[in-house]
Amino acid sequence: MNDFLNYLLLGLTRGSMYAVIALGYTLVYGVLQLINFAHSEVFMSGAFASYLAVTRFVKEGDRPAWYIVVALILMGLLVGAAVGAAVAWTLERVAYRPLRRRGAPKLAFLISAIGASFFLSQLAGKMFNRLTSNTFPEYFNRDKAVISVGGVNLTLIQAIVIGSAVVMMIFLDRLVSGTKLGRAIRGVAEDAPTAALMGIDIDKTISRTFMIGGALGGAAGFLFGTQLVFGNTMGFIPGVKAFAAAVLGGIGNIRGAMLGGLLLGVVESLVPTFPWWHESGWVGQQWTDVVAFVILVMVLLFRPSGILGERLGRAA
Amino acid sequence: MRTRSLTKLAALGFAGTLALSACGSSGSSGGGLNNDGGSGGGGDATYTIAFEGPLSGDYQQLGINEVNGVQLAIDQANAKGDLGFKLKLMKADDGGDPAKAPAAAAQVLQDKTVVGVIGPSFSGATKAVGNIYGDAGMTVITPSASNPSLSTLGFKTFHRIVPNDNVEGSQAAVWLAKKAKKVYVINDLSDYGDGVANAVQEGLKKAGVKIIKQGVAGGGATKDYGTAAAAVKNSGAAAMFYAGYDADAAQLATALKAAGYKGIRIGGNGIKSSVFTDSSKKAGDGWYMSCGCLDATVAPAAKQFTADYKAAFNTDPSTYSPEAFDAANALIEAIKAAKAGGGVTLASVNEAVNALNYTGITATIKFQEDGEIVPENQVVNLFQQKGGAITLLGNILEQK
Repeated sequence: MNDFLNYLLLGLTRGSMYAVIALGYTLVYGVLQLINFAHSEVFMSGAFASYLAVTRFVKEGDRPAWYIVVALILMGLLVGAAVGAAVAWTLERVAYRPLRRRGAPKLAFLISAIGASFFLSQLAGKMFNRLTSNTFPEYFNRDKAVISVGGVNLTLIQAIVIGSAVVMMIFLDRLVSGTKLGRAIRGVAEDAPTAALMGIDIDKTISRTFMIGGALGGAAGFLFGTQLVFGNTMGFIPGVKAFAAAVLGGIGNIRGAMLGGLLLGVVESLVPTFPWWHESGWVGQQWTDVVAFVILVMVLLFRPSGILGERLGRAA
Repeated sequence: MRTRSLTKLAALGFAGTLALSACGSSGSSGGGLNNDGGSGGGGDATYTIAFEGPLSGDYQQLGINEVNGVQLAIDQANAKGDLGFKLKLMKADDGGDPAKAPAAAAQVLQDKTVVGVIGPSFSGATKAVGNIYGDAGMTVITPSASNPSLSTLGFKTFHRIVPNDNVEGSQAAVWLAKKAKKVYVINDLSDYGDGVANAVQEGLKKAGVKIIKQGVAGGGATKDYGTAAAAVKNSGAAAMFYAGYDADAAQLATALKAAGYKGIRIGGNGIKSSVFTDSSKKAGDGWYMSCGCLDATVAPAAKQFTADYKAAFNTDPSTYSPEAFDAANALIEAIKAAKAGGGVTLASVNEAVNALNYTGITATIKFQEDGEIVPENQVVNLFQQKGGAITLLGNILEQK
């Protein structure tokens, strides 16, 4: 039971990361019916940017006081979010808007997205390095147990990841369901021409949607880099997984992306080692990705529009 | 109109991607040939020793470690002045990539003054060109390609001066069996990882040690080693062997530390690198590494070599530099023997290499029929990361 709960926590940590990234895919899909394949590079740029910011203040081996650590984490999240938003905005301007203006077919958007993705990942490789395993300095004890009940440990970094993800998800949910901008996003998602007639500036709304998704992705980049490793190719795998999570929950559906992300993370961490929690189990860890995608296929077989369905217009 | 704009865009996209990949590689390219061809016209003949290995790209550092070793051996031999011929170095860059290796081999074979090759550095690249060199009769001595199958593929001129992964894995198993009754073996599912994991598992099984196997995809495919580490911790195994490469091992190290695993952690030659130490930081301290290689900065036999290397290249020799130095010296010995025996041809050099009995700084080089060093001369060393640096503990079979 303890083992189960420990794995569940590992899964929730992984899943909340997926969920936050998945939101970026789902938001853009909601307004444009377009898979933004360069979103994984937005995520990557958030990690690099926050690394540069954080290492201005701490280096390896430093152990600043707790309030400085809190400030650094908040700064990391904000810098990651700001740069993510900026990259996403630029991306929309350079890679998508010109195509939209000319009414290009969907395929062109896809190619453009893949080109932009290559460009950003190689650019980061050129500017920084091409290692896959860069790490943030360890300026606080990430593995300290904050809650420890009978062998079940929630470590500090897990608490930070899950906590930040929950805050971001609630914030986004409120933003989309309760603000004017949110209403505009939902309007464009439901019926863009009609929304335009109602006085909504479509270009501006799309641009802002990209920035919101980008900010979430960039902040997730910081969390990912702080917990694990980062590098110029780091975006691809979490990006694919998060995209799968978005589809699993129902693409275009914000709560669906959250649910899909968490579910995928938990399944990935629980199924392969079930039921012995250490040996190969019935499945084995090398099958992790297979398990995740088999579940995706099964869900789509029975519910082609995802668990919560594609509620494009009613994004929340 | 619609289709035209699409084509235009697609073309643009492709052009962009191409330009990008071009700029991605431009910074680090430029290995290529640097020989100016032709043998010495006047007195002594000039023979060229070629080095094939990664001189650009992700694995560039390994190639530089090795080519410097070769360069040093050649410079020293020329400086002695008693060869009766002059030696030159040719660098052929294969990026460590099997796909690029044939082009590098073609460059080498075009130059008629080349009498032998040090390299290729990587097993995949060696597999790709073993027959090309073999058919040309060009002798090959690799200082680092350690995949066991290389000596079984019938390459006619293949030699290697390091123990292969089977030897390394089985000796690591002997050591592990002394330390643990239950060992967790993680395999990164690559060719290399599979080979090492199998060798270790076989050795452990012979010693009656309980084995738990787990495959965790490496090569950057797994980003979160949390569940893998939790599984190691839960298993209660006294030791864990990681069969895979440095960057992935570093992530596993961090995750194992987070999970609070206190047992023995060890990996093969694939993790003995600065990539592992830099990225795992404190989490890597205490990790062991088995490697059929020598740490030139501490080994007594390599003192002179280390000093000379530092003087020539202004940096300490690193992984596989001493092996490359030995391989080049062995080849030079063979060229001398061929010259004394009648004439220097590709065939006579290859024969001389086969007949070598040369004591270098890493091992006594004497090849068996299949191109491996005779078993009694194969030394696997045990290393450990301490305080962020990899230190040599000594011959793994002699470790307690």
